[in-house]
Amino acid sequence: MIRQTSLFLGYELRFLLRNPVWPLFGIMQPVLYLVFFAPLLGKTTSSGSMPEVLAMFTPGSMMMIALFGSLFAGFGMINETRNGVLERLAVSPAWPPAIILGRVAKDMLVLVVQAILVMGVAILMGLRIGLPEFLIMLLLMAVTGLFAASLSYGLALAIKDENGVSQLVQFFAMPLTLIAGLFLPVSLGPDWLQTLARFNPLYYGVEAGRSLFRGDLGDSTIPIAFALLIGLALITLVWSMRSLRRLAA
Amino acid sequence: MIIEAHGLRKTFHAKRGRGKTEEVEAVRGIDLEVQKGEIFAALGPNGAGKTTTVRMLATFIAPTAGTARVAGFDVVKEAAKVRENIGYVSQAGGVDENNPGIDQLLLAGRIAGLSKKAAQARADELLAAFSLTEIARRPARTLSGGQKRRFSIALGLVTAPPLVFLDEPTTGLDPQNRANLWDEVRGLRDRGTSVLLTTHYLDEADALCDRLVIIDNGTVVAEGTPASLKKEVAGDVVTLRLKGVDDAAEVLRAQSYVKEVRTEEGLLRAYLDDGEHGLPHLLRVLEERDLTLESISLDRATLDDVFLRHTGRSLRDAA
Repeated sequence: MIRQTSLFLGYELRFLLRNPVWPLFGIMQPVLYLVFFAPLLGKTTSSGSMPEVLAMFTPGSMMMIALFGSLFAGFGMINETRNGVLERLAVSPAWPPAIILGRVAKDMLVLVVQAILVMGVAILMGLRIGLPEFLIMLLLMAVTGLFAASLSYGLALAIKDENGVSQLVQFFAMPLTLIAGLFLPVSLGPDWLQTLARFNPLYYGVEAGRSLFRGDLGDSTIPIAFALLIGLALITLVWSMRSLRRLAA
Repeated sequence: MIIEAHGLRKTFHAKRGRGKTEEVEAVRGIDLEVQKGEIFAALGPNGAGKTTTVRMLATFIAPTAGTARVAGFDVVKEAAKVRENIGYVSQAGGVDENNPGIDQLLLAGRIAGLSKKAAQARADELLAAFSLTEIARRPARTLSGGQKRRFSIALGLVTAPPLVFLDEPTTGLDPQNRANLWDEVRGLRDRGTSVLLTTHYLDEADALCDRLVIIDNGTVVAEGTPASLKKEVAGDVVTLRLKGVDDAAEVLRAQSYVKEVRTEEGLLRAYLDDGEHGLPHLLRVLEERDLTLESISLDRATLDDVFLRHTGRSLRDAA
């Protein structure tokens, strides 16, 4: 099982290494936000200092890569439902879940590397973060990537239509972004917005990130975010594997 | 016997708007027997149920009813065992456009349990066999249709399976690539691999296969070797274009050397066992009745004539 997953992962990574440019484009968006948008946020934190602003803003910009990157991971697979690749793999001796797991593992890795680069830029701009918090943040990003990528593969296999999937992802991405307080904490907003945010798993991810960046390891949002994202990741993972099996019928 | 299928059926439930479903009987009871080491063809028009049949035999979908054993294993209960013994090349090809063929061959070998070294050796072997070595490292999207098709077949052969399914292997290929591919399929048989291929090309089934079934509307309408099937119809077919087709048909049906007469608008087909000797007689009787011909041709009977005899229509029209 692990052997098969790592074989698929290796295949995907070889493709990535031949075309390493695309994931770099993925981090342009959050980096641009860090450079040009974060400086506008001075007034929103108590001290208004750059490190404090970055601690508030960086986690949101990292979730942005997950939303606008990993959620589109399934796109390539839509084509594979038509060109016979999945069909061929389905009747090969391959362990079927490995077909999805290998790809999801690749997307997690990509997201973690992207997260390191974005945090690197933030640190260059003045962000201060301890090593344990840094590592836990990467773990959080890995779990977010697992969820977003599995969801994307599930959607791709269920809908099998590029137009449908892109519209649907856009449709969900925008409200999820706003209601998670990706750019500004929802705690600045009215009660109804704060209540609404509690139904958005992304909100916990962003808040957990902010707690980590503040060095507040004991904050309750951190375990909640991990539990929620892992739970959702497992559900979507099972869903996408089932969709793969149903592809034939 | 490498394939033994009895009463295979597949019914799909297609959605037709608001909660309504329509039952589509793609395959309605197919029996098949494929011997070890032969090239076996399923010939039929598009939508006849050929692909669905192959997909059931390759364990991709489960039959609604009926049983099948492939390489000695039940396709439903022992699907994993079947998969170890077959190669499946779909109509779509299954070649990943973004990656080089060599990577795909290596991955296919590795997931089938080969070591790194063994997978590399097997890939090199297949690349050489299909003249793909030089283009092995190019992304598949830069390859021509014929090259891609060769890769897709190589991918199906990575595990050196005793049986390989080729679903419409030459659709979309130019005549030269088709002829080359036929040679490669014959090469497979020479090395002991059994082949089940589907096609809607009459000449392909005729030239390539040892035995075939003709499938129409989800059932087998004829089975045999190309030669025996054609012999059933007749050796030769005389096609006449003339006015008064019905009169001519009546006259010719009375002739002892004419086995069968079929008519279409302005067109008459007479089936004769020995066309060269029958044709002069045939012309004479038509002359006697003052039936003037517009054109005439004498051809060997083809599988299309077999299809026409069993289904009442030409495969060219059916597709």
